[in-house]
Amino acid sequence: MSWWVMAVMALVTFSCRFSFFNTLINFNFSSRLQRLLSFAAPAVLTAMWAPIVFMSNGQTLVATLWDPFLIAGLATVLMSIVIRQTLLVVILGMGLFVAMQYSVA
Amino acid sequence: MTDSLTHHETSPRLLGRSKLCVQALIDVFPLALAMLPWGVLCGSLSIEMGLSAWQAQCMSLFVFAGAAQLSSLNLLGVMAPPAAIVSSTVVISSRHLLYSAVLRSDVAHLSLRWRCLLAFLLTDEMFALAVAFKQKYRYFSPLYALIVGLGIYSVWNIATLIGIVASQQWAGLSHLGLEFAVAAIFIAIVIPMIKSFPILVAVLISGVTAIICTQFSVENGLLIAAGLGMLAGYCCPPKEAR
Repeated sequence: MSWWVMAVMALVTFSCRFSFFNTLINFNFSSRLQRLLSFAAPAVLTAMWAPIVFMSNGQTLVATLWDPFLIAGLATVLMSIVIRQTLLVVILGMGLFVAMQYSVA
Repeated sequence: MTDSLTHHETSPRLLGRSKLCVQALIDVFPLALAMLPWGVLCGSLSIEMGLSAWQAQCMSLFVFAGAAQLSSLNLLGVMAPPAAIVSSTVVISSRHLLYSAVLRSDVAHLSLRWRCLLAFLLTDEMFALAVAFKQKYRYFSPLYALIVGLGIYSVWNIATLIGIVASQQWAGLSHLGLEFAVAAIFIAIVIPMIKSFPILVAVLISGVTAIICTQFSVENGLLIAAGLGMLAGYCCPPKEAR
């Protein structure tokens, strides 16, 4: 890979990240757009975790219910509803996953 | 714009500087751990694809975008032209436009130096934690975001280095299932955010769409899923309106 391709890549990633951080163009989002953006965080994060939990091989839906990713993932969802302590939920979820991963293997 | 932060419905629970740092380090630790295998893979794949060790490290130092880096290396492997590599980077990085838009009102009052720094470190993980922090404490902390971002940046680069110098010994790392940590953390962040019916709809549509897109190997399914989820939530009338 040539250095300039890498430089362009770095420029692209930084531009995307900095895009709306610029204050040269002074504008405010309309209240409609702001409402739309209020769904961005839960939507995009779910688009990242759902495939990990339901498609543990990375390509297809899980074929078995006894899958560490599926069971521990769903358990984490349930625990998040009941327990409001984020860190505790993560630790319990990970613990269940590790326990299952090694009992299945 | 700064005032919108302080005049929030619920008053912010400001944290002291040292408490903030400790909190950031605790929060970033599992996410940083989960990205180790990806960083190692990125480093070793770079060498395999013919990059020099120096180039491989510089890619993580300056491009600093896991998915875009891995995709560009795969394209390099199939002899794709530079234009294809750049356009794949544009497509993959476009989700950062969304993060940037969401955080705009939070960083608008910061100096250019701070905005550049936070933009450079703006990753999926940093976005997730910064938003979760804001949800919990009712304010955006640039320092918290910076520490989280730096934590991820250093682990990503150390992992790349490990991949460059010792890829063989660390090859088994990707089979440990560390990506489950990412899922668990994102779940624990998202579920408490579901405080209204429209948000629930947004989450369900986004999740189902992401799964369908992955199943059919739709390119950039992440952005399609997030977009559809956001639109679905937006079109869903809030409870008061019905």
